[in-house]
Amino acid sequence: MKSSWNEKAIVVFAWLSGLGLLAIFAAVIGFLIIHGGRSLQLSLVFGDTPPLAALFFRQRVFDGLFPAIVGTVALVLLAMGIAIPPGIAAGIYMAEYCRGKTRRLLGLFFDILAGIPSIVIGLFGLSVTIFLHRHFFRQLYPSLLISALSLAFLVLPYLIRTTQGALEDIPMDVRLSAPAMGASRLQNIFMVLLPRSLKGISSGILLATGRCAEDTAVIMLTGVVATAGVPRSLLGNYEALPFYIYYISSQYADRQELQRGFGAAIILLFICALLFAAALAVRRHLSRRFFYHL
Amino acid sequence: MNADAKIIIENLSFFYRRRQVLTDISAVFPAAAITAVTGPSGQGKSTLLTTLNRLWEEIPGAAATGIVRMQFEDGWRDVNAPDIDLPWLRRRVGMVFQAPNPLPASVYKNMAFPLRIAGVSNKREVEARVEDALRQAFLWREVKDRLDHDARTLSGGQQQRLCIARALILEPEILLLDEPTSSLDAEAGRVIEELLTSLKESRTLVVVSHYQEQVKRIADRVFRLEKGSLQPQA
Repeated sequence: MKSSWNEKAIVVFAWLSGLGLLAIFAAVIGFLIIHGGRSLQLSLVFGDTPPLAALFFRQRVFDGLFPAIVGTVALVLLAMGIAIPPGIAAGIYMAEYCRGKTRRLLGLFFDILAGIPSIVIGLFGLSVTIFLHRHFFRQLYPSLLISALSLAFLVLPYLIRTTQGALEDIPMDVRLSAPAMGASRLQNIFMVLLPRSLKGISSGILLATGRCAEDTAVIMLTGVVATAGVPRSLLGNYEALPFYIYYISSQYADRQELQRGFGAAIILLFICALLFAAALAVRRHLSRRFFYHL
Repeated sequence: MNADAKIIIENLSFFYRRRQVLTDISAVFPAAAITAVTGPSGQGKSTLLTTLNRLWEEIPGAAATGIVRMQFEDGWRDVNAPDIDLPWLRRRVGMVFQAPNPLPASVYKNMAFPLRIAGVSNKREVEARVEDALRQAFLWREVKDRLDHDARTLSGGQQQRLCIARALILEPEILLLDEPTSSLDAEAGRVIEELLTSLKESRTLVVVSHYQEQVKRIADRVFRLEKGSLQPQA
């Protein structure tokens, strides 16, 4: 009798927690829409420039968020493009090849790396850039590339750990099925184990993508600026939405400017949603190619 | 050496994380026959099977010592020799697991999978061999119209026969089966027993089973594994 009451209490608590989370999420979105919804107009993005001319990079946008949007998308794609291959490869190494003491040590190292505050990573990126600038490449300054590299470094441990975890969660009988048919280790990894762990790996990629899109501390120190226009080169400055939100909310002059900050926040969320949808579509395509539904 | 012997095990010991599972086992398994290994559960019957295709090497913390000789088409080979190519060995020595383990793909993709691994890419050859193996496993009639269906929608017995067919497609000389009927109902189990009996004409089968009745029905030679040692049973 007692245990059934306990069970009921746990279920009620679980439901309340879920509802509470949902309520907070709805409150955040609602708050953003109430405060920034009115600013959501084409002029918020493109200013006085004709949208088509801006989209094809024919005219520069001065009074809109377009350069920041392009900057954020470029930054996220670049950082993830840099981080995903070594992240997944290191995850495979950890789960399938690394054994014993080395594995424990590396695991601890990656966990520590995951816990480093982003401002420290930003500082590190800046210091390395200054060092390289002084001693090797005079033309190297904080820039889009440096920011992307620093962000990639920031999210690398997530990718490694989620890939490793997804691979290690595969039950032994599944793990042995292909080798029993004569599959080599690599064949097993690429034809069975990786497709089986796509779900786990892609959730790691989604988390890392979100982290890259929202981060302000790293990019503040490594190349983002308030006005740079659409990024023209990997080695140039750029604009980004989270930085825009940060500086507009810390030094807005009137209500309207603050509203634009909220509008930028909504756009940032929207971009994240789009990136997530793209990642999920890629996952679905890949899992169809190997298997049926997973 | 024995004229009709297929597998000769000499002084085989097996360890898992410092625990000795098999102790100094020696035995001869005959060719073109069903050899059954029986005994209480948890005594290493499945482990014994993995020493025959060296699948234990995929399991962290496992170790084996001793000699396992097998007579292949081209003569006797020591399975534990360092120069043995593992994919080659596992194609010659097929394995079927206790619970059916189809990949989450279509029946056809499951069947073609071992060929894909082995680098057979000729579409016609693959189709022919898929059909042939499914016929050998008494499954062709039941699945020929749904080769493109998810293999996991088949019944348990069909899934297990699919796994047997998938093991047969590489034409192994030896087939290892680990409790192949334990997850099935009596009727599906009976079909599998019939299938195994039909297979022994062309292949050597080693079946782990704890059902005494089943062992009596199908086995030509019976061993009992208990407390790490393997003894012939009358």
